Amino acid sequence: MANVLLKNIENPNSHRIDEYVKAGGYFALEHAINEMTPKDIVDDIRKSGLRGRGGAGFSTGMKWQFASLDPKFPKYIVCNADEGEPGTFKDRVLLERNPHRLIEGMVITAYALQSIRGYIYVRAEYPHVEKILNEAIKEAYDKGFLGDDIMSKHFRFNLSVHRGAGAYICGEETALINSLEGRRGEPRIKPPFPVNSGAWSKPTIVNNVETYANIPYIIETSPKAYTFLGTKDAPGTKLFCVSGAVNKPGVYELELGTPLREIIYDHCGGIRGGRALKGVIPGGLSTSILTPDKIDCPMDFANLAKRGSMLGSGAIIVLDDTMCIVKIYERAMRFFEHESCGKCTPCREGTGWMRTILSRIEKGLADMEDLATLEDVAANVAGKTFCPLGEGAAHVLLAVIKSYRGEFEYHVKYKKCEVADPSQKWEHISEGELDRLEPIV
Amino acid sequence: MVKLKINGQEVEAGRDSSILYAAKAAGITIPTLCHIKGLEPYGGCRMCLVEIEGVSRLQTACTTKVNEGMSVLTETDEINKARKAMLEFLLINHPLDCPVCDKAGECLLQDEAARYGASEGRFAEGKRVHPENLNDPFIVRNMQRCILCTRCTRMCGEGQGAYAISVTGRGAHSFVEPFSHDKYNCEYCGNCLTVCPVGAIMSRLHRHNYRPWYVEKEVETVCGFCGVGCTTYLQMRGTTIIRTQPMLGTGVNKGLLCARGRFGYDYIESESRLKTPMIRVNGVLEPVSWEKALQYIVTRLKEVKSQHPPKAIAAVASGMCSNEDNYMLQKLIRFVIGSNNIDSTARLAYAPSKTYIEKIFGAAATANVIADIEKADGVFVAGGDPTAINPVLGVQIRSAWRHGAKVVVSGQPGGLGNFINYSLNSVPHHEETVLNTIVIGLAEMKGYSGTNPYIEKKIKALRVPCEPELKATGVTLESMEEAIDDLSRLKKPVVVIGPALLQSGIPSKNLFLVAAIAYLTDARIYLLSKKPNYRGLIDMGCVPDAIAGGLPVRPGQIKLKNSVTMSVPADKGLNLFEMIEGALSGGLKALYVLGENLVFNLPDREKTEKALSSLDLLIVQDIFTNETTRHAHVVLPAAAWSEKDGTMTNLGGRIQFLRKGASDSVGRSEWRVIAEIAKALGMNETYRDSKEVWEEMTQVSVLHAASDYEDIKDGGLMWPYGSVQFQGGAEDFEVEGIGILPEVKSEPCEGPLKLYLLPERSLFHSGSTTRKSRALLSVSPEPYLSLNPEEALRLGLNDSDTVRVRTSRGSAVVTIKIIMDVPERAAILSNTFEKVNFNSLAGYSVDPVLNCMALTDNEAVIELI
Amino acid sequence: MITAAIADKNAILKDKIKELKRLYPQTRSVLLPALHAAEDLYGWLGDDALEQVSMLTGVTTAEVKGVVSFYSLFKTKPHGRHVIYLCTNIACLIMGADTLEEYLQKTYRLSNGETTADGRFSLVIMECIGACDRAPAMLVNDDWHFNLTMENIKEILESYK
Repeated sequence: MANVLLKNIENPNSHRIDEYVKAGGYFALEHAINEMTPKDIVDDIRKSGLRGRGGAGFSTGMKWQFASLDPKFPKYIVCNADEGEPGTFKDRVLLERNPHRLIEGMVITAYALQSIRGYIYVRAEYPHVEKILNEAIKEAYDKGFLGDDIMSKHFRFNLSVHRGAGAYICGEETALINSLEGRRGEPRIKPPFPVNSGAWSKPTIVNNVETYANIPYIIETSPKAYTFLGTKDAPGTKLFCVSGAVNKPGVYELELGTPLREIIYDHCGGIRGGRALKGVIPGGLSTSILTPDKIDCPMDFANLAKRGSMLGSGAIIVLDDTMCIVKIYERAMRFFEHESCGKCTPCREGTGWMRTILSRIEKGLADMEDLATLEDVAANVAGKTFCPLGEGAAHVLLAVIKSYRGEFEYHVKYKKCEVADPSQKWEHISEGELDRLEPIV
Repeated sequence: MVKLKINGQEVEAGRDSSILYAAKAAGITIPTLCHIKGLEPYGGCRMCLVEIEGVSRLQTACTTKVNEGMSVLTETDEINKARKAMLEFLLINHPLDCPVCDKAGECLLQDEAARYGASEGRFAEGKRVHPENLNDPFIVRNMQRCILCTRCTRMCGEGQGAYAISVTGRGAHSFVEPFSHDKYNCEYCGNCLTVCPVGAIMSRLHRHNYRPWYVEKEVETVCGFCGVGCTTYLQMRGTTIIRTQPMLGTGVNKGLLCARGRFGYDYIESESRLKTPMIRVNGVLEPVSWEKALQYIVTRLKEVKSQHPPKAIAAVASGMCSNEDNYMLQKLIRFVIGSNNIDSTARLAYAPSKTYIEKIFGAAATANVIADIEKADGVFVAGGDPTAINPVLGVQIRSAWRHGAKVVVSGQPGGLGNFINYSLNSVPHHEETVLNTIVIGLAEMKGYSGTNPYIEKKIKALRVPCEPELKATGVTLESMEEAIDDLSRLKKPVVVIGPALLQSGIPSKNLFLVAAIAYLTDARIYLLSKKPNYRGLIDMGCVPDAIAGGLPVRPGQIKLKNSVTMSVPADKGLNLFEMIEGALSGGLKALYVLGENLVFNLPDREKTEKALSSLDLLIVQDIFTNETTRHAHVVLPAAAWSEKDGTMTNLGGRIQFLRKGASDSVGRSEWRVIAEIAKALGMNETYRDSKEVWEEMTQVSVLHAASDYEDIKDGGLMWPYGSVQFQGGAEDFEVEGIGILPEVKSEPCEGPLKLYLLPERSLFHSGSTTRKSRALLSVSPEPYLSLNPEEALRLGLNDSDTVRVRTSRGSAVVTIKIIMDVPERAAILSNTFEKVNFNSLAGYSVDPVLNCMALTDNEAVIELI
Repeated sequence: MITAAIADKNAILKDKIKELKRLYPQTRSVLLPALHAAEDLYGWLGDDALEQVSMLTGVTTAEVKGVVSFYSLFKTKPHGRHVIYLCTNIACLIMGADTLEEYLQKTYRLSNGETTADGRFSLVIMECIGACDRAPAMLVNDDWHFNLTMENIKEILESYK
């Protein structure tokens, strides 16, 4: 396992500034401020080939360059810690265990872009993370890594936490900016892109937690050293968060390009109970499911795209042969329906419609015409939505029907599920036991 | 310019143009539901999806900018399938209740569904259900018809600046609603109704009795409620106005209206419209024929004329009437009867302010384009809430603020509350100290340019307030200093002056101080005008000291084209206040009141009533019976605003056409009636239509001499109407009490605390017409007295308490309304309703410098009952 | 009628929002933190609380309502002493979260968005809370609980009185 982002996290006090500094933390910042010009940093990040870790995989260096070329002042630095993509918890681990690495990355970014103000947008579902971050920010202020005169170099950068309030869509950068500005978290028209007109219409960099956490490493080693990790097209390491039917779920820092099979069978100890693999969602719920025959896929942007899916957030959800695909995707569509912001017609109306049909299929109340309607509705949503949310919902559904059509048809034809009830996976209770429960109140 | 291809056709478009507009300019229609001109692109409905060569996904035409060499297709099978799909998505929750939907026939969804074909109805699940909401007085909501295009919320925010409705909820549970679920409790501008593409929000006024095809004709006219002069379209069925509707992007209002303009028109059908002339017989007004009434007037006027000099006869012109009506009244008095006794209620504030400001800065100072306010980088407001007095002008200030302008308000901010940088809301009678401080501060920061030595000399004579004087204002020195700082930096400022500036303290001093702010910041000046044609009547010569076009009264001859000469009388004319005094002292015997309720609109009601009842002859020409007609010897029913042709001049000097909607009226067009009387008294001219009246006027008025009647079409004619020689320069002027400041009184040790009673300037009411509008009465049905929370607490009063308010002139029983931004020590009383009315409880004095009115006797005591 | 206790809270909120305003270049942007602060103070965001926030931030009441209702975790109605945030998104679902939901329904008569009759618990069904490696998971108030089973959920909930 590589150890770039999760360095020193086994230390129980890794989140404290003293431990972080002891392990070489804030060295990169010192180096950047003392030895480098802002332009040097932007160039280095570009040369490193770092790509955003939030899902889209856009070149971080390019993003910074666009913002740095915009003459408007001030510029804002925003960290997207609204980790809401189902199956994803890698940023949470970074934030809990290594908050100073994020802060250091953000301060270097601020220096590179001559920004004076930053915000960390944390999802409301992580109340403890907000506390950890606030403490870490306070520590950084006390040590002079944040404030009006950072490291006595007349460099000013202030940072605070902005708490979300429960909206997946705010993980989309323009929706996040709306939310930061105190508005409904609906996505904005692009262009203008946030790098030119973001928060308060000023140039704004929105990067994922993990992306910022990569910055200190690139600065303290070299862009070249960074390219030694991962693949040519996708350098560096990636935090993969694995959940579902594996023996050892958790966060694994591995080089980009590590084959999915290796992650599941070597790092995560294989499928629980020695059962058969049914499919893998490789990058969070909004990425299309991979059938078992595709698990030799190297986990990077290009290779997953080639197989019709995406690297996404690196959230790998492993499904075994006892799990009902229809039930899972009914729940998935319920999620998209719940999180659709309602701004555009196809997503607002389409996600709900798809979910109702899925519910009927799952309950055995649908016929083959419904299945055809479902596919047609998904096709009518795909490619026509305002932002990637509805787009993702339609795509993952089309992909899963394509790969698991038999299972959908079984539900329609036999009005029941082909596989055992997934609740049986939960070995502690049987169905009968649930029925015998007495009300407590 | 950018060259691109749309459907193979070469098209040129501006660099910033969207594909939608580029296509439109080339005659290619792309369907839209959420997009509407005048609001920012939204990209929500996805109807305008188009194919761009080299781009894999379909793109929305409304949000995509054109590019050099771009090739766009707007109608392909894929696009049509997508559009049909979007309509299907919208229709799965949209009820198919078109037969009972008032929008049917002008519904965009219906139109698009017809174009792209109905969907197959394969949505098997239940539709969203939101029952019709009828709890609001004006707006019926049918949210199940809503397609969430958000045109309404964007109009309410971006357009109107009210932000009174919002999309609530998320996703398919999204819903458009005001804060309180049932009632809008908003400004009721109704601009959301203009933009709703479906039948989701509709006017209650024509619920179930309106169909687009009922509209027999649509007439473009100018709104008759205030001095902004909004363009509005009367949709007529017979003599009934079905709706007044603005057109987006059109007129000074660019398609916005206010509550009065949109919903208030129903006063025209009020039961209390005068339907027939009446003559007082044995103390009672009795219906008579027009012939008899006119004959009576002529006989009586001749009688007065034979027994008394011409100056025993006077007339009051009307800010509600057209230029032609007012010109004709002026002609009757000045040139037929031979007296300069003509004035109007513009005398209370608008006319003297205009005269004074023009004296200081020259004639051009008050003529400004209202739409330019939006482009200002700073706005200083004094003398009343523009969003209530001239609502659409107020919206321009909000818009300026949203574009980054600094807004400073002296006085109660009202509807500007959320659009203000500095609120200088001082205790009544101490505004002067605040304004004085700002002028001195600005002079220190900006220095003197030497442009106008008269005003600079006076600024230098101002005294710096001492600490107790500043403290008495209730405004912190800090906020004054910050406001000065911001004001001093402005490049394109605007100063807005409302009528309340003159109502307390020393009017000439207050007006001078605000003029000094305009001078030091080099601002454009806008004078708020409660009535639609105050400016016009002044230009028509309805003031005692100037003839039409503004030339001062000098005895002499005016020659008309038809070689008739008219003599300008030599006597100094009486102004409105002098007319009242004259009637009381017996010098004035006859008064012709055109469209004005003097008893109701002047403070010291008792005095006005006494004066009117002392007259030998009171002629009242109005559309309603009212407090003034009660004293009349003869009453003539007039044509309402929508029943006549003519021109109106807005507060910034734009002349626009007033066009007849109804072909018939229970009354008669005022100028025709006046002309008939004038003719019987010796006038030679006859007029076929209002255009001929206008044309004669241009022979009298040097200001209008070069104007062409035809040019009034299309957006109106802007001051100075083609005249060049008529642009007087600055003159010296008089100011009272320049070195003194309001006295700081110590709080009374015993006895109840006295508040200053001030008149409300309501958004929903502007006088005798609005209180006859059932629609407006439904939102503002009764009088109230407003206090700020601290004052209420001090007096031990709660919201909705019933109190007795007492001044030295009388008392009234009224309900309390607690409003945050009422100034300290102020109590604001409605001035609309007959029973409880501010004007009955206060007196006035006439300011010797401005000849305007200042309130007196308005210290009030409030007790709970 | 404003009681002394509410007046005190209003005053605290006023100071808090004043402080929060410093964090943002535009006053409007204080809205989300202001709403969180109001929720902490009043316990939930009723119309009165929203009116206070509107007054103190200058954002109109309609817009405040539009914002509050967009986000699923603002408490817009009164809730029990303890709020259970149960994740049922797929990582938890495949590990049995739907059985837990049924469990809460049967034992506490709790369904999504509702509160037990004794005012002890409220239930909010959540989308992914980022605890997928230890699914199924929930938050009770601000505390995380992982690897839930029917045995331990009972025990955990019984510790919240």
